[in-house]
Amino acid sequence: MLKNIQEWTLLLSIFGIVALLGNWIGYNVLPLDALLGMIVLVLICLAGLIIQKIMPGNIPSVAYVAIVGILVSMPWMPGSAKVVEWTTSVNLLALATPILAYAGIAIGRSWTDFVKLGWRSIVVAVCVLLGTFIGSALIAEVVLRMQGII
Amino acid sequence: MSEERKNLWKDWRLHAIVLGIVLLTELIGTHQFQVGPGVILLLPMLYAIIIGLALYFTPIVKEKQSKNAEPLIVLGVTLLIAKIGVIIGPSLPQIIAAGPALLLQEFGNLGTIFFALPIAIFLGLKRESIGMTHSVAREPNVGLVMDKFGFDSPEGRGVMSIYIFGTVFGAVFMGLIAGFLATLTPLHPLSFAMASGIGSGSMMAAASGSLVAAFPGMENDIVAFAGASNLLSLSTGLYMSIFIGLPLTEKLYNVLTRRKQKKEEMKQEKGA
Repeated sequence: MLKNIQEWTLLLSIFGIVALLGNWIGYNVLPLDALLGMIVLVLICLAGLIIQKIMPGNIPSVAYVAIVGILVSMPWMPGSAKVVEWTTSVNLLALATPILAYAGIAIGRSWTDFVKLGWRSIVVAVCVLLGTFIGSALIAEVVLRMQGII
Repeated sequence: MSEERKNLWKDWRLHAIVLGIVLLTELIGTHQFQVGPGVILLLPMLYAIIIGLALYFTPIVKEKQSKNAEPLIVLGVTLLIAKIGVIIGPSLPQIIAAGPALLLQEFGNLGTIFFALPIAIFLGLKRESIGMTHSVAREPNVGLVMDKFGFDSPEGRGVMSIYIFGTVFGAVFMGLIAGFLATLTPLHPLSFAMASGIGSGSMMAAASGSLVAAFPGMENDIVAFAGASNLLSLSTGLYMSIFIGLPLTEKLYNVLTRRKQKKEEMKQEKGA
């Protein structure tokens, strides 16, 4: 467990530093200005990962991470204003870029499988993603309009 | 596995490569161009995945880096989810207000069946099409189909082919079409935000990221709705497939193939 926590902390820190530098270049936020926010995010992750290890059942750790994040930032929680203020300086897109950089390196190994797919599979795959995306958007649009939210 | 997975932080080569990619892509920045009435957004994260993939085929990235990168995606997504959590928190009242829309749009994930299955059958695919189109084919759905039909079944091969496409191109594809469709169609960006949560962290990041870039004024609402929807998809996706998606796909497959058979028989009769 302790070893796990140490490993998570180190990796999240490396990831965090890369994201802070991307945040600086891409979104003009000085790393020092976003440092507190990044530390808060890393702590939220650690809390969620640890809870997942302790709790019974097979609920994925991202669910716990999301719940911890929501809890510490909801309006009824004391100190949530600070959490929101600090984490706002960490841009969402600055976190997404390193994820997809790692993803690009990792999917190289799936490439040989990919090129073996026939053109028909690729057409169907595009339709699957489009169908899901547009289907959900249409239903959301109808319900949000009925509720008068948009 | 545990021995290998430990000390991932020591793979400095991998982290340095990723840092290089991030700095380069953020320097290039976001570019957009008009295609008819819609806008195609090219975001740093899209270049990042393509550069990463390209580097895999150079000596810079070795097999080891590619393997080590996988658990880091998971950890990176965790950090992204933490960020989304602290965006959802303050918006919780709005999300509760939009609860009905959030819940109901989950059924939109079945849109793939009505849209993609007829096309798959039209293209001449057989039972593969059931595995291909019953869901967006993320990990839980792949597990379900393998469990039900077996690894070497046509259904299993079908679901794997969509899984592979989603893994390699899902994020790029979603990132490109989300911003494009939201600027092209009259549908509201928040509807597309909810639709972005299809149960894959990287696809959600790409889709909602391009929505944010297209509509920066709505950033917090877009991310909060996309994140909440993605959590819902993650928790309901499997059950949706078990109880609705897969049975419905099989039914529709039988109906569609029977009609196709009849047509062919009629044609043969006419010819004779």
